[in-house]
Amino acid sequence: MTRWFEDIVVDEVFDLGTHTFTEEEIVRFARLYDPQYFHVDREKAGLSHFGGIVASGWHTVCVGHRKMVDALFAEEERLRGLGQEPGVSGPSPGVNSMEFRAPVRPGDTVRYTLVVTSKRPSNSIPGWGLLFNDLTARNQHGEIVYHAELVGFSKLRDYRMPLRLRALMALAKLPVIGKALRRGT
Amino acid sequence: MTNPVTKDLRHFEDLSVGEVIDLGKTTVTREMIVTFAREFDPFPFHLDEKAARASLLGGLASSGWQTGALTLKMLVDSFLGKLASAGGLGFKNLKWKNPVMVNDTIGGTVTIVELRRSHHHPEWGIMTLDFDVRNQKGQPVLTMRLSNLVELRDPSAPITEAAQ
Repeated sequence: MTRWFEDIVVDEVFDLGTHTFTEEEIVRFARLYDPQYFHVDREKAGLSHFGGIVASGWHTVCVGHRKMVDALFAEEERLRGLGQEPGVSGPSPGVNSMEFRAPVRPGDTVRYTLVVTSKRPSNSIPGWGLLFNDLTARNQHGEIVYHAELVGFSKLRDYRMPLRLRALMALAKLPVIGKALRRGT
Repeated sequence: MTNPVTKDLRHFEDLSVGEVIDLGKTTVTREMIVTFAREFDPFPFHLDEKAARASLLGGLASSGWQTGALTLKMLVDSFLGKLASAGGLGFKNLKWKNPVMVNDTIGGTVTIVELRRSHHHPEWGIMTLDFDVRNQKGQPVLTMRLSNLVELRDPSAPITEAAQ
């Protein structure tokens, strides 16, 4: 969430809210990104093992991502309301696993839940920490629609760059030395 | 039991491990990036040039999920749409290696790395694909391993461990 890395609590559960999928939006997404017949053609989809139109798994995931972003923004507002400066989250490096478990049909309401399962400072990007998140999407019957293990970035509040690195960065600002340093890497 | 929609398409029996699929190419415009971001990923660094320059991305770049979705579209157009696909199972180890910037052209290849019968559903096989998506400079932008169900033409064929 949009908290400083230090303030993120492992195992805290975030309810990201729900989304109800309409046939119109299922077909619209699928035409752009996943135009397989069981996502775009009601008649043909009826002949598939699904027995009707189902949402692209990637569509349900993109909506899940939106719910997560909305929750981040809401958390930011909440912290500002308390007079606190919110943290900064960064782009995600990847997804460890994504399992599509049950189809989403028009009219289904999906609830998204996020849990931070672990965190550690990044080795490659100084000042940032890595968050390992589990996202579970369930339909109105409580069945798991998909389960994902996501990776995210969050900024450290109390990061102090090592002295050697700060000296190097100061030197790099001098034109001659900076050019030589860049050539060297 | 034959599915009239897929009967003339390639089935599980027609696939072999090692087959390489060319995904073709897609150019990602500013409008595509902003339209997708508004609906699914409205972080300032996907919507606004100034915010993007100040972020880890270094400039206006597509949402990673958009890069994934556009990769999926290329897969459906070049391969999956010509196959008796029965739906996706998911993916593993998706990595966004480099951001996709405005007007970058992405493309790449997909390799069939595994084919095995489903024990629960004799009418399906599980196809596993490795993705290597790159930009016009040849830099990697996305890799992942994805699994998809494919219908068998002859589900009564015995399931053997060696069957590929």
